[in-house]
Amino acid sequence: MILSALLILLAIFGAPLFTVIAASAMLGYQREGIDLMAIAIEVLGIAGMPMLSAIPLFTFAGYLLSKSNAPQRLVRVTSAILGWMPGGLALVALAACAFFTAFTGASGVTIIALGAILYPALKQDGYPDNFNLGLVTTSGSLGLLFAPSLPLILYGVVAEVSVDNLFRAGVLPGLLMLVLLGGYSLWVNRHNRKPLAHFSWKEVGSALWEAKWEIPLPIFVLGGIYSGFFAVSEAAAVTALYVLVVEVFVLGEIKLRELPEVMRESMLLVGGILIILGVSLASTNYMIDAGVPQQLLEYITEFVSSQASFLFLLFIFLLVLGAILDIFSAIVLVVPLILPIAAQYGVNDFHLGIIFLAAMQLGYLTPPVGLNLFIASYRFDRPIMNVYAATFPFLLILMASVLIIMYWADLSLWWLPD
Amino acid sequence: MSETPGLAARLERWGTAFENAALVILLGAMMLLAVAQIVLRIFFSFGFVWADELVKLFVLWIALIASIAASRSNRHLRIDVLSHFVAEKYARIPRIIVDAFAAFMCGFLAWHSWRYVQLTIEFEDTVLSNFPAWIAYILLPLSFALMCYRFVLSCGSDLIRTFRPGEGEGGDA
Repeated sequence: MILSALLILLAIFGAPLFTVIAASAMLGYQREGIDLMAIAIEVLGIAGMPMLSAIPLFTFAGYLLSKSNAPQRLVRVTSAILGWMPGGLALVALAACAFFTAFTGASGVTIIALGAILYPALKQDGYPDNFNLGLVTTSGSLGLLFAPSLPLILYGVVAEVSVDNLFRAGVLPGLLMLVLLGGYSLWVNRHNRKPLAHFSWKEVGSALWEAKWEIPLPIFVLGGIYSGFFAVSEAAAVTALYVLVVEVFVLGEIKLRELPEVMRESMLLVGGILIILGVSLASTNYMIDAGVPQQLLEYITEFVSSQASFLFLLFIFLLVLGAILDIFSAIVLVVPLILPIAAQYGVNDFHLGIIFLAAMQLGYLTPPVGLNLFIASYRFDRPIMNVYAATFPFLLILMASVLIIMYWADLSLWWLPD
Repeated sequence: MSETPGLAARLERWGTAFENAALVILLGAMMLLAVAQIVLRIFFSFGFVWADELVKLFVLWIALIASIAASRSNRHLRIDVLSHFVAEKYARIPRIIVDAFAAFMCGFLAWHSWRYVQLTIEFEDTVLSNFPAWIAYILLPLSFALMCYRFVLSCGSDLIRTFRPGEGEGGDA
Protein backbone atom coordinates (compact mmCIF):
# COMPACT_ATOMS: atom_id res chain seq x y z
CA MET A 1 0.00 0.00 0.00
CA ILE A 2 2.80 2.39 0.98
CA LEU A 3 4.79 1.27 -2.04
CA SER A 4 1.82 1.86 -4.34
CA ALA A 5 1.38 5.35 -2.92
CA LEU A 6 5.06 5.96 -3.49
CA LEU A 7 4.72 4.89 -7.11
CA ILE A 8 1.81 7.27 -7.64
CA LEU A 9 3.91 10.06 -6.14
CA LEU A 10 6.77 9.22 -8.51
CA ALA A 11 4.35 9.30 -11.43
CA ILE A 12 3.07 12.73 -10.41
CA PHE A 13 6.64 13.96 -10.09
CA GLY A 14 7.10 13.02 -13.74
CA ALA A 15 8.71 9.57 -13.76
CA PRO A 16 8.38 8.00 -17.22
CA LEU A 17 5.05 6.18 -17.02
CA PHE A 18 6.41 2.91 -18.35
CA THR A 19 8.80 2.63 -15.40
CA VAL A 20 6.00 3.25 -12.91
CA ILE A 21 3.73 0.71 -14.59
CA ALA A 22 6.52 -1.86 -14.80
CA ALA A 23 7.23 -1.34 -11.11
CA SER A 24 3.60 -1.86 -10.14
CA ALA A 25 3.38 -5.02 -12.25
CA MET A 26 6.55 -6.39 -10.69
CA LEU A 27 5.29 -5.59 -7.20
CA GLY A 28 2.23 -7.62 -8.07
CA TYR A 29 4.35 -10.52 -9.31
CA GLN A 30 6.41 -10.38 -6.16
CA ARG A 31 3.28 -10.61 -4.00
CA GLU A 32 1.96 -13.60 -5.96
CA GLY A 33 5.32 -15.36 -6.08
CA ILE A 34 5.60 -15.13 -9.87
CA ASP A 35 9.11 -15.00 -11.30
CA LEU A 36 9.88 -11.38 -12.22
CA MET A 37 11.18 -12.37 -15.63
CA ALA A 38 7.55 -12.89 -16.60
CA ILE A 39 7.51 -9.19 -17.42
CA ALA A 40 9.86 -9.86 -20.34
CA ILE A 41 7.33 -12.30 -21.79
CA GLU A 42 4.61 -9.65 -21.53
CA VAL A 43 6.70 -6.94 -23.22
CA LEU A 44 7.63 -9.37 -25.99
CA GLY A 45 3.87 -9.80 -26.37
CA ILE A 46 4.03 -6.60 -28.45
CA ALA A 47 5.18 -8.92 -31.23
CA GLY A 48 2.05 -11.02 -30.85
CA MET A 49 -0.58 -8.32 -31.23
CA PRO A 50 -2.52 -7.96 -34.46
CA MET A 51 -2.79 -4.67 -36.37
CA LEU A 52 -0.08 -3.00 -34.34
CA SER A 53 2.09 -2.25 -37.39
CA ALA A 54 -0.58 0.31 -38.34
CA ILE A 55 0.58 2.57 -35.50
CA PRO A 56 4.18 3.25 -36.62
CA LEU A 57 3.15 3.34 -40.27
CA PHE A 58 0.30 5.85 -39.93
CA THR A 59 2.33 8.00 -37.54
CA PHE A 60 5.22 8.14 -39.98
CA ALA A 61 2.89 9.01 -42.87
CA GLY A 62 1.32 11.77 -40.77
CA TYR A 63 4.64 13.34 -39.82
CA LEU A 64 5.78 13.22 -43.41
CA LEU A 65 2.59 14.95 -44.56
CA SER A 66 2.94 17.62 -41.90
CA LYS A 67 6.51 18.40 -43.01
CA SER A 68 5.52 18.77 -46.66
CA ASN A 69 3.30 21.46 -48.14
CA ALA A 70 0.26 19.19 -47.87
CA PRO A 71 -1.23 21.34 -45.03
CA GLN A 72 -1.30 24.42 -47.32
CA ARG A 73 -2.91 22.41 -50.10
CA LEU A 74 -5.48 20.98 -47.67
CA VAL A 75 -6.42 24.48 -46.45
CA ARG A 76 -6.73 25.70 -50.03
CA VAL A 77 -9.03 22.83 -51.07
CA THR A 78 -11.18 23.25 -47.96
CA SER A 79 -11.39 27.03 -48.51
CA ALA A 80 -12.43 26.52 -52.12
CA ILE A 81 -15.20 24.14 -51.08
CA LEU A 82 -16.47 25.75 -47.84
CA GLY A 83 -15.21 29.33 -48.03
CA TRP A 84 -18.38 30.76 -49.60
CA MET A 85 -20.38 30.16 -46.41
CA PRO A 86 -20.77 33.00 -43.90
CA GLY A 87 -18.05 32.58 -41.28
CA GLY A 88 -16.34 30.49 -43.90
CA LEU A 89 -12.81 30.56 -42.63
CA ALA A 90 -13.75 29.29 -39.15
CA LEU A 91 -15.53 26.35 -40.75
CA VAL A 92 -12.59 25.79 -43.05
CA ALA A 93 -10.31 25.64 -40.01
CA LEU A 94 -12.52 23.08 -38.24
CA ALA A 95 -12.91 20.83 -41.27
CA ALA A 96 -9.28 20.94 -42.37
CA CYS A 97 -7.99 20.28 -38.85
CA ALA A 98 -10.38 17.39 -38.26
CA PHE A 99 -9.33 15.79 -41.51
CA PHE A 100 -5.64 16.29 -40.86
CA THR A 101 -5.83 15.01 -37.29
CA ALA A 102 -7.59 11.84 -38.40
CA PHE A 103 -4.70 11.15 -40.73
CA THR A 104 -1.93 12.14 -38.34
CA GLY A 105 -3.19 10.60 -35.14
CA ALA A 106 -3.74 13.41 -32.68
CA SER A 107 -0.12 13.82 -31.68
CA GLY A 108 -0.11 17.59 -31.64
CA VAL A 109 1.22 18.02 -35.18
CA THR A 110 -2.08 19.50 -36.35
CA ILE A 111 -1.66 22.68 -34.29
CA ILE A 112 1.88 23.08 -35.50
CA ALA A 113 1.24 22.28 -39.17
CA LEU A 114 -2.22 23.79 -39.74
CA GLY A 115 -2.48 26.27 -36.87
CA ALA A 116 0.50 28.13 -38.23
CA ILE A 117 -1.43 28.75 -41.45
CA LEU A 118 -4.91 29.25 -40.02
CA TYR A 119 -4.22 31.43 -36.97
CA PRO A 120 -2.78 34.40 -38.89
CA ALA A 121 -5.34 33.95 -41.67
CA LEU A 122 -8.24 34.12 -39.20
CA LYS A 123 -6.78 37.25 -37.64
CA GLN A 124 -6.39 38.89 -41.01
CA ASP A 125 -9.99 38.08 -41.82
CA GLY A 126 -11.11 40.08 -38.76
CA TYR A 127 -12.05 37.32 -36.34
CA PRO A 128 -11.53 38.18 -32.65
CA ASP A 129 -8.17 37.05 -31.37
CA ASN A 130 -9.37 34.97 -28.43
CA PHE A 131 -11.80 33.15 -30.66
CA ASN A 132 -8.99 32.29 -33.08
CA LEU A 133 -6.73 31.04 -30.34
CA GLY A 134 -9.48 28.87 -28.85
CA LEU A 135 -10.53 27.57 -32.24
CA VAL A 136 -7.05 26.57 -33.35
CA THR A 137 -6.20 25.02 -29.97
CA THR A 138 -9.43 23.01 -29.97
CA SER A 139 -9.08 21.92 -33.57
CA GLY A 140 -5.75 20.29 -32.85
CA SER A 141 -7.40 17.15 -31.56
CA LEU A 142 -10.74 17.38 -33.31
CA GLY A 143 -10.60 14.52 -35.80
CA LEU A 144 -9.63 11.71 -33.51
CA LEU A 145 -12.99 9.95 -33.84
CA PHE A 146 -12.51 9.63 -37.60
CA ALA A 147 -10.68 6.80 -39.35
CA PRO A 148 -7.79 6.08 -39.42
CA SER A 149 -6.81 7.94 -36.22
CA LEU A 150 -4.22 6.38 -33.95
CA PRO A 151 -6.30 6.37 -30.72
CA LEU A 152 -9.10 4.46 -32.50
CA ILE A 153 -6.62 1.82 -33.68
CA LEU A 154 -5.01 1.57 -30.25
CA TYR A 155 -8.41 1.14 -28.59
CA GLY A 156 -9.22 -1.64 -31.05
CA VAL A 157 -5.94 -3.40 -30.28
CA VAL A 158 -6.26 -3.04 -26.50
CA ALA A 159 -9.96 -3.89 -26.26
CA GLU A 160 -9.58 -6.65 -28.84
CA VAL A 161 -12.50 -5.44 -30.92
CA SER A 162 -12.81 -4.86 -34.65
CA VAL A 163 -11.09 -1.64 -35.69
CA ASP A 164 -13.27 -1.51 -38.80
CA ASN A 165 -16.36 -1.31 -36.64
CA LEU A 166 -14.77 1.37 -34.46
CA PHE A 167 -14.13 3.40 -37.59
CA ARG A 168 -17.84 3.14 -38.41
CA ALA A 169 -18.88 3.96 -34.87
CA GLY A 170 -16.82 7.17 -34.80
CA VAL A 171 -18.34 8.82 -37.87
CA LEU A 172 -21.51 10.42 -36.48
CA PRO A 173 -20.11 11.34 -33.04
CA GLY A 174 -17.17 13.00 -34.81
CA LEU A 175 -19.54 14.89 -37.10
CA LEU A 176 -21.62 15.95 -34.08
CA MET A 177 -18.57 17.62 -32.55
CA LEU A 178 -17.83 19.38 -35.84
CA VAL A 179 -21.40 20.59 -36.24
CA LEU A 180 -21.66 21.92 -32.67
CA LEU A 181 -18.33 23.72 -32.87
CA GLY A 182 -19.21 25.05 -36.33
CA GLY A 183 -22.55 26.34 -35.01
CA TYR A 184 -20.84 28.05 -32.11
CA SER A 185 -18.31 29.66 -34.47
CA LEU A 186 -21.11 31.03 -36.64
CA TRP A 187 -22.96 32.34 -33.59
CA VAL A 188 -19.92 34.09 -32.10
CA ASN A 189 -19.20 35.77 -35.40
CA ARG A 190 -22.83 36.55 -36.23
CA HIS A 191 -21.96 40.24 -36.68
CA ASN A 192 -19.02 39.44 -38.90
CA ARG A 193 -20.57 37.04 -41.32
CA LYS A 194 -18.40 37.64 -44.24
CA PRO A 195 -17.71 34.78 -46.53
CA LEU A 196 -14.08 34.06 -47.28
CA ALA A 197 -14.60 34.25 -51.03
CA HIS A 198 -17.27 33.66 -53.63
CA PHE A 199 -17.72 30.11 -54.68
CA SER A 200 -15.88 29.42 -57.89
CA TRP A 201 -15.67 26.16 -59.76
CA LYS A 202 -12.45 27.39 -61.25
CA GLU A 203 -10.82 27.79 -57.82
CA VAL A 204 -12.16 24.40 -56.70
CA GLY A 205 -10.72 22.85 -59.83
CA SER A 206 -7.31 24.44 -59.52
CA ALA A 207 -7.10 23.73 -55.75
CA LEU A 208 -7.96 20.10 -56.40
CA TRP A 209 -5.45 19.98 -59.24
CA GLU A 210 -2.73 21.34 -56.96
CA ALA A 211 -3.52 18.60 -54.46
CA LYS A 212 -3.86 15.90 -57.10
CA TRP A 213 -1.28 13.66 -55.48
CA GLU A 214 -2.88 13.72 -52.05
CA ILE A 215 -6.52 13.47 -53.17
CA PRO A 216 -6.32 9.71 -53.91
CA LEU A 217 -5.06 9.08 -50.37
CA PRO A 218 -8.29 9.48 -48.37
CA ILE A 219 -10.23 7.86 -51.19
CA PHE A 220 -8.30 4.62 -51.26
CA VAL A 221 -7.56 4.52 -47.53
CA LEU A 222 -11.11 5.23 -46.36
CA GLY A 223 -12.69 3.43 -49.31
CA GLY A 224 -10.39 0.46 -48.81
CA ILE A 225 -11.04 0.22 -45.09
CA TYR A 226 -14.80 0.83 -45.12
CA SER A 227 -15.34 -1.59 -48.01
CA GLY A 228 -13.27 -4.25 -46.28
CA PHE A 229 -10.80 -4.44 -49.15
CA PHE A 230 -7.87 -3.45 -46.92
CA ALA A 231 -7.17 -4.48 -43.37
CA VAL A 232 -6.17 -1.49 -41.25
CA SER A 233 -2.52 -2.55 -41.14
CA GLU A 234 -2.50 -2.97 -44.92
CA ALA A 235 -4.01 0.47 -45.43
CA ALA A 236 -1.31 1.87 -43.15
CA ALA A 237 1.50 0.27 -45.14
CA VAL A 238 0.09 1.49 -48.45
CA THR A 239 -0.43 4.99 -47.04
CA ALA A 240 3.10 5.22 -45.65
CA LEU A 241 4.74 4.01 -48.84
CA TYR A 242 2.55 6.20 -51.04
CA VAL A 243 3.15 9.35 -48.99
CA LEU A 244 6.87 8.61 -48.96
CA VAL A 245 7.04 8.22 -52.74
CA VAL A 246 4.87 11.28 -53.43
CA GLU A 247 6.38 13.79 -50.99
CA VAL A 248 9.99 12.72 -51.43
CA PHE A 249 10.32 11.50 -55.01
CA VAL A 250 7.43 13.00 -56.97
CA LEU A 251 7.04 16.44 -55.36
CA GLY A 252 10.49 16.62 -53.80
CA GLU A 253 9.19 18.69 -50.86
CA ILE A 254 11.16 16.59 -48.40
CA LYS A 255 14.79 15.86 -49.23
CA LEU A 256 15.97 12.29 -49.05
CA ARG A 257 18.58 13.23 -46.47
CA GLU A 258 15.90 14.77 -44.22
CA LEU A 259 14.07 11.46 -44.17
CA PRO A 260 15.96 9.77 -41.28
CA GLU A 261 15.24 12.78 -39.07
CA VAL A 262 11.50 12.69 -39.91
CA MET A 263 11.41 8.94 -39.27
CA ARG A 264 13.13 9.40 -35.92
CA GLU A 265 10.83 12.30 -34.94
CA SER A 266 7.75 10.25 -35.71
CA MET A 267 9.01 7.12 -33.99
CA LEU A 268 9.72 8.91 -30.68
CA LEU A 269 6.01 9.05 -29.99
CA VAL A 270 5.50 5.50 -31.24
CA GLY A 271 8.25 4.17 -28.99
CA GLY A 272 6.72 5.97 -26.04
CA ILE A 273 3.28 4.49 -26.72
CA LEU A 274 4.38 0.94 -27.50
CA ILE A 275 6.70 0.53 -24.51
CA ILE A 276 3.83 1.58 -22.25
CA LEU A 277 1.61 -0.89 -24.08
CA GLY A 278 4.21 -3.60 -23.43
CA VAL A 279 4.55 -3.09 -19.68
CA SER A 280 0.82 -2.46 -19.32
CA LEU A 281 0.14 -5.90 -20.76
CA ALA A 282 1.91 -7.12 -17.64
CA SER A 283 0.15 -4.88 -15.15
CA THR A 284 -3.35 -5.31 -16.57
CA ASN A 285 -3.00 -9.07 -16.94
CA TYR A 286 -1.92 -9.17 -13.34
CA MET A 287 -4.83 -7.00 -12.23
CA ILE A 288 -7.34 -9.04 -14.20
CA ASP A 289 -5.95 -12.27 -12.72
CA ALA A 290 -6.15 -10.71 -9.28
CA GLY A 291 -9.81 -9.87 -9.92
CA VAL A 292 -9.49 -6.10 -9.76
CA PRO A 293 -12.29 -5.44 -12.27
CA GLN A 294 -14.70 -7.63 -10.26
CA GLN A 295 -13.80 -5.87 -7.02
CA LEU A 296 -14.28 -2.50 -8.70
CA LEU A 297 -17.60 -3.68 -10.07
CA GLU A 298 -18.81 -4.89 -6.66
CA TYR A 299 -17.79 -1.59 -5.18
CA ILE A 300 -19.51 0.43 -7.87
CA THR A 301 -22.75 -1.59 -7.84
CA GLU A 302 -23.22 -0.60 -4.21
CA PHE A 303 -23.69 2.99 -5.30
CA VAL A 304 -24.78 2.77 -8.90
CA SER A 305 -27.58 0.67 -10.24
CA SER A 306 -28.68 2.13 -13.56
CA GLN A 307 -26.75 2.46 -16.78
CA ALA A 308 -27.47 6.18 -16.86
CA SER A 309 -25.86 6.86 -13.52
CA PHE A 310 -22.96 4.56 -14.37
CA LEU A 311 -22.34 6.58 -17.53
CA PHE A 312 -22.35 9.79 -15.56
CA LEU A 313 -19.84 8.37 -13.11
CA LEU A 314 -17.74 7.28 -16.08
CA PHE A 315 -17.92 10.79 -17.51
CA ILE A 316 -16.56 12.35 -14.31
CA PHE A 317 -13.89 9.67 -14.06
CA LEU A 318 -12.75 10.20 -17.65
CA LEU A 319 -12.64 13.96 -17.21
CA VAL A 320 -10.26 13.57 -14.29
CA LEU A 321 -8.26 10.89 -16.10
CA GLY A 322 -7.93 13.02 -19.21
CA ALA A 323 -6.70 15.96 -17.18
CA ILE A 324 -3.82 13.85 -15.85
CA LEU A 325 -2.92 11.27 -18.48
CA ASP A 326 -2.35 11.50 -22.21
CA ILE A 327 -4.87 9.66 -24.38
CA PHE A 328 -2.53 6.82 -25.36
CA SER A 329 -1.46 5.87 -21.84
CA ALA A 330 -5.05 6.17 -20.68
CA ILE A 331 -6.32 3.77 -23.34
CA VAL A 332 -3.67 1.19 -22.59
CA LEU A 333 -3.97 1.37 -18.81
CA VAL A 334 -7.64 1.91 -18.16
CA VAL A 335 -9.63 0.34 -20.99
CA PRO A 336 -8.95 -3.31 -20.01
CA LEU A 337 -10.22 -2.56 -16.50
CA ILE A 338 -13.40 -0.69 -17.37
CA LEU A 339 -14.43 -2.90 -20.32
CA PRO A 340 -15.86 -5.73 -18.16
CA ILE A 341 -17.51 -3.23 -15.80
CA ALA A 342 -19.16 -1.31 -18.64
CA ALA A 343 -20.33 -4.59 -20.16
CA GLN A 344 -22.12 -5.39 -16.88
CA TYR A 345 -24.08 -2.15 -17.27
CA GLY A 346 -24.95 -3.09 -20.83
CA VAL A 347 -22.65 -0.58 -22.53
CA ASN A 348 -21.63 -1.82 -25.97
CA ASP A 349 -17.84 -2.21 -26.48
CA PHE A 350 -17.81 0.06 -29.52
CA HIS A 351 -19.97 2.68 -27.83
CA LEU A 352 -17.63 2.58 -24.84
CA GLY A 353 -14.67 3.12 -27.18
CA ILE A 354 -16.22 6.22 -28.71
CA ILE A 355 -17.21 7.56 -25.27
CA PHE A 356 -13.73 6.93 -23.97
CA LEU A 357 -11.95 8.66 -26.85
CA ALA A 358 -14.41 11.54 -27.03
CA ALA A 359 -13.94 12.18 -23.31
CA MET A 360 -10.18 11.84 -23.54
CA GLN A 361 -10.23 14.39 -26.33
CA LEU A 362 -11.36 16.86 -23.68
CA GLY A 363 -8.16 16.03 -21.84
CA TYR A 364 -6.15 17.76 -24.57
CA LEU A 365 -7.89 20.99 -23.58
CA THR A 366 -8.32 20.60 -19.83
CA PRO A 367 -6.20 22.78 -17.57
CA PRO A 368 -3.72 22.45 -16.03
CA VAL A 369 -1.81 20.05 -18.28
CA GLY A 370 -3.78 19.63 -21.52
CA LEU A 371 -1.28 19.02 -24.30
CA ASN A 372 -2.91 21.30 -26.89
CA LEU A 373 -2.93 24.21 -24.45
CA PHE A 374 0.82 24.06 -24.11
CA ILE A 375 1.51 23.50 -27.78
CA ALA A 376 -0.67 26.50 -28.65
CA SER A 377 0.85 28.67 -25.94
CA TYR A 378 4.30 27.84 -27.21
CA ARG A 379 3.51 27.97 -30.91
CA PHE A 380 1.58 31.26 -30.87
CA ASP A 381 3.60 32.82 -28.09
CA ARG A 382 0.66 33.53 -25.80
CA PRO A 383 0.53 33.21 -21.98
CA ILE A 384 -0.90 29.89 -20.87
CA MET A 385 -3.69 31.52 -18.80
CA ASN A 386 -4.76 33.34 -21.93
CA VAL A 387 -4.97 30.05 -23.82
CA TYR A 388 -6.98 28.47 -20.97
CA ALA A 389 -9.52 31.28 -21.11
CA ALA A 390 -9.74 31.36 -24.91
CA THR A 391 -10.29 27.61 -25.11
CA PHE A 392 -12.84 27.37 -22.31
CA PRO A 393 -16.05 27.97 -24.32
CA PHE A 394 -14.93 25.39 -26.86
CA LEU A 395 -14.23 22.96 -24.03
CA LEU A 396 -17.77 23.42 -22.72
CA ILE A 397 -19.23 22.66 -26.15
CA LEU A 398 -17.14 19.54 -26.51
CA MET A 399 -18.26 18.45 -23.02
CA ALA A 400 -21.86 18.82 -24.11
CA SER A 401 -21.15 16.75 -27.20
CA VAL A 402 -19.51 14.03 -25.09
CA LEU A 403 -22.65 13.87 -22.93
CA ILE A 404 -24.81 13.57 -26.04
CA ILE A 405 -22.54 10.82 -27.39
CA MET A 406 -22.81 8.99 -24.05
CA TYR A 407 -26.57 9.03 -23.71
CA TRP A 408 -27.43 8.57 -27.36
CA ALA A 409 -25.89 5.19 -28.07
CA ASP A 410 -27.44 4.87 -31.54
CA LEU A 411 -25.31 7.74 -32.71
CA SER A 412 -22.32 5.41 -32.38
CA LEU A 413 -24.06 2.16 -33.22
CA TRP A 414 -26.27 2.93 -36.23
CA TRP A 415 -23.74 1.81 -38.83
CA LEU A 416 -22.53 -1.34 -37.14
CA PRO A 417 -23.40 -4.72 -38.60
CA ASP A 418 -25.43 -6.99 -36.28
CA MET B 1 27.71 20.35 -25.29
CA SER B 2 31.17 21.94 -25.56
CA GLU B 3 32.25 20.71 -22.14
CA THR B 4 31.30 17.10 -22.75
CA PRO B 5 34.46 15.02 -22.98
CA GLY B 6 35.41 13.76 -26.43
CA LEU B 7 34.60 10.10 -25.90
CA ALA B 8 31.12 10.76 -24.51
CA ALA B 9 30.36 13.14 -27.38
CA ARG B 10 31.47 10.56 -29.90
CA LEU B 11 29.38 7.85 -28.23
CA GLU B 12 26.46 10.25 -28.37
CA ARG B 13 26.86 10.85 -32.11
CA TRP B 14 27.35 7.18 -32.89
CA GLY B 15 24.40 6.21 -30.76
CA THR B 16 22.08 8.65 -32.51
CA ALA B 17 23.37 7.57 -35.92
CA PHE B 18 22.84 3.94 -35.05
CA GLU B 19 19.29 4.53 -33.78
CA ASN B 20 18.42 6.50 -36.91
CA ALA B 21 19.88 3.89 -39.22
CA ALA B 22 18.06 1.08 -37.44
CA LEU B 23 14.76 2.96 -37.53
CA VAL B 24 15.14 3.80 -41.22
CA ILE B 25 15.94 0.20 -42.13
CA LEU B 26 13.20 -1.35 -39.98
CA LEU B 27 10.50 1.09 -41.00
CA GLY B 28 11.49 0.82 -44.66
CA ALA B 29 11.62 -2.96 -44.56
CA MET B 30 8.28 -3.13 -42.79
CA MET B 31 6.63 -0.90 -45.40
CA LEU B 32 8.03 -2.85 -48.34
CA LEU B 33 7.26 -6.24 -46.85
CA ALA B 34 3.69 -5.30 -45.97
CA VAL B 35 3.04 -3.79 -49.38
CA ALA B 36 4.62 -6.79 -51.13
CA GLN B 37 2.28 -9.06 -49.18
CA ILE B 38 -0.71 -7.02 -50.36
CA VAL B 39 0.43 -7.15 -54.00
CA LEU B 40 0.96 -10.91 -53.74
CA ARG B 41 -2.45 -11.36 -52.13
CA ILE B 42 -4.35 -9.29 -54.68
CA PHE B 43 -2.65 -10.39 -57.87
CA PHE B 44 -1.46 -13.88 -57.09
CA SER B 45 -3.70 -14.92 -54.16
CA PHE B 46 -0.53 -15.89 -52.40
CA GLY B 47 1.47 -14.81 -49.38
CA PHE B 48 4.47 -15.79 -47.33
CA VAL B 49 3.53 -17.37 -44.03
CA TRP B 50 6.58 -15.93 -42.31
CA ALA B 51 5.96 -12.39 -43.52
CA ASP B 52 3.25 -11.60 -40.96
CA GLU B 53 5.38 -12.82 -38.11
CA LEU B 54 8.37 -10.87 -39.38
CA VAL B 55 6.32 -7.65 -39.62
CA LYS B 56 5.28 -8.16 -36.00
CA LEU B 57 8.90 -8.62 -34.96
CA PHE B 58 9.72 -5.41 -36.83
CA VAL B 59 7.07 -3.65 -34.74
CA LEU B 60 8.68 -4.98 -31.56
CA TRP B 61 12.14 -3.87 -32.64
CA ILE B 62 10.90 -0.45 -33.73
CA ALA B 63 9.16 -0.09 -30.37
CA LEU B 64 12.37 -0.91 -28.48
CA ILE B 65 14.76 1.18 -30.55
CA ALA B 66 12.30 4.07 -30.57
CA SER B 67 12.11 3.83 -26.75
CA ILE B 68 15.88 4.15 -26.57
CA ALA B 69 15.61 7.18 -28.84
CA ALA B 70 12.79 8.57 -26.68
CA SER B 71 15.01 8.29 -23.59
CA ARG B 72 17.78 10.14 -25.38
CA SER B 73 15.46 12.93 -26.48
CA ASN B 74 13.60 12.93 -23.15
CA ARG B 75 10.32 12.19 -24.88
CA HIS B 76 8.87 9.35 -22.84
CA LEU B 77 5.23 9.81 -21.95
CA ARG B 78 4.89 11.17 -18.43
CA ILE B 79 2.68 13.32 -16.28
CA ASP B 80 4.18 16.68 -16.99
CA VAL B 81 3.10 19.05 -14.24
CA LEU B 82 6.32 20.05 -12.54
CA SER B 83 8.17 21.36 -15.58
CA HIS B 84 5.25 23.64 -16.44
CA PHE B 85 4.47 25.04 -13.02
CA VAL B 86 7.53 24.81 -10.83
CA ALA B 87 10.61 26.97 -11.22
CA GLU B 88 13.63 25.18 -12.70
CA LYS B 89 15.49 25.50 -9.40
CA TYR B 90 12.86 23.53 -7.47
CA ALA B 91 11.98 21.09 -10.25
CA ARG B 92 15.50 19.74 -10.29
CA ILE B 93 15.43 17.73 -7.05
CA PRO B 94 12.27 15.77 -7.94
CA ARG B 95 13.73 15.24 -11.40
CA ILE B 96 16.86 13.71 -9.92
CA ILE B 97 14.77 11.34 -7.80
CA VAL B 98 12.55 10.42 -10.72
CA ASP B 99 15.47 9.80 -13.08
CA ALA B 100 17.25 7.69 -10.48
CA PHE B 101 14.08 5.63 -10.11
CA ALA B 102 13.76 5.27 -13.90
CA ALA B 103 17.41 4.21 -14.16
CA PHE B 104 16.91 1.64 -11.42
CA MET B 105 13.75 0.23 -13.05
CA CYS B 106 15.38 0.01 -16.48
CA GLY B 107 18.37 -1.77 -15.00
CA PHE B 108 16.04 -4.13 -13.16
CA LEU B 109 14.04 -4.77 -16.34
CA ALA B 110 17.25 -5.33 -18.30
CA TRP B 111 18.44 -7.89 -15.77
CA HIS B 112 15.19 -9.85 -15.66
CA SER B 113 14.69 -9.81 -19.42
CA TRP B 114 18.28 -11.01 -19.82
CA ARG B 115 17.39 -13.91 -17.52
CA TYR B 116 14.44 -14.68 -19.75
CA VAL B 117 16.57 -14.55 -22.90
CA GLN B 118 19.00 -17.00 -21.30
CA LEU B 119 16.06 -19.30 -20.70
CA THR B 120 15.00 -19.16 -24.36
CA ILE B 121 18.59 -20.08 -25.33
CA GLU B 122 18.50 -23.01 -22.94
CA PHE B 123 15.18 -24.26 -24.28
CA GLU B 124 16.20 -23.56 -27.89
CA ASP B 125 13.04 -21.57 -28.57
CA THR B 126 12.56 -20.54 -32.19
CA VAL B 127 10.84 -17.78 -34.14
CA LEU B 128 10.01 -17.66 -37.87
CA SER B 129 9.88 -21.48 -37.85
CA ASN B 130 13.59 -22.17 -37.29
CA PHE B 131 15.55 -19.09 -36.19
CA PRO B 132 16.79 -19.09 -32.60
CA ALA B 133 14.42 -16.84 -30.65
CA TRP B 134 17.15 -15.14 -28.67
CA ILE B 135 18.30 -13.28 -31.80
CA ALA B 136 14.91 -11.61 -31.91
CA TYR B 137 14.65 -11.11 -28.15
CA ILE B 138 18.18 -9.96 -27.25
CA LEU B 139 17.21 -6.40 -28.11
CA LEU B 140 14.92 -6.36 -25.07
CA PRO B 141 17.58 -6.50 -22.30
CA LEU B 142 19.89 -4.46 -24.50
CA SER B 143 17.44 -1.61 -24.93
CA PHE B 144 16.50 -1.53 -21.24
CA ALA B 145 20.21 -1.41 -20.42
CA LEU B 146 20.73 1.52 -22.80
CA MET B 147 17.72 3.34 -21.35
CA CYS B 148 19.20 2.75 -17.89
CA TYR B 149 22.46 4.33 -19.07
CA ARG B 150 20.50 7.27 -20.47
CA PHE B 151 18.63 7.92 -17.20
CA VAL B 152 21.85 7.61 -15.21
CA LEU B 153 23.38 10.29 -17.45
CA SER B 154 20.51 12.73 -17.09
CA CYS B 155 20.32 12.09 -13.34
CA GLY B 156 24.07 12.66 -13.09
CA SER B 157 24.07 15.89 -15.08
CA ASP B 158 21.27 17.27 -12.89
CA LEU B 159 23.25 16.30 -9.78
CA ILE B 160 26.31 18.10 -11.09
CA ARG B 161 24.27 21.18 -11.85
CA THR B 162 22.76 21.15 -8.37
CA PHE B 163 26.01 20.90 -6.46
CA ARG B 164 28.29 22.83 -8.77
CA PRO B 165 26.21 25.53 -10.37
CA GLY B 166 27.86 26.95 -13.43
CA GLU B 167 29.54 23.70 -14.38
CA GLY B 168 28.22 20.85 -16.46
CA GLU B 169 26.41 21.22 -19.74
CA GLY B 170 24.75 24.55 -20.31
CA GLY B 171 23.94 25.51 -16.72
CA ASP B 172 20.71 27.35 -15.97
CA ALA B 173 18.81 28.71 -18.88
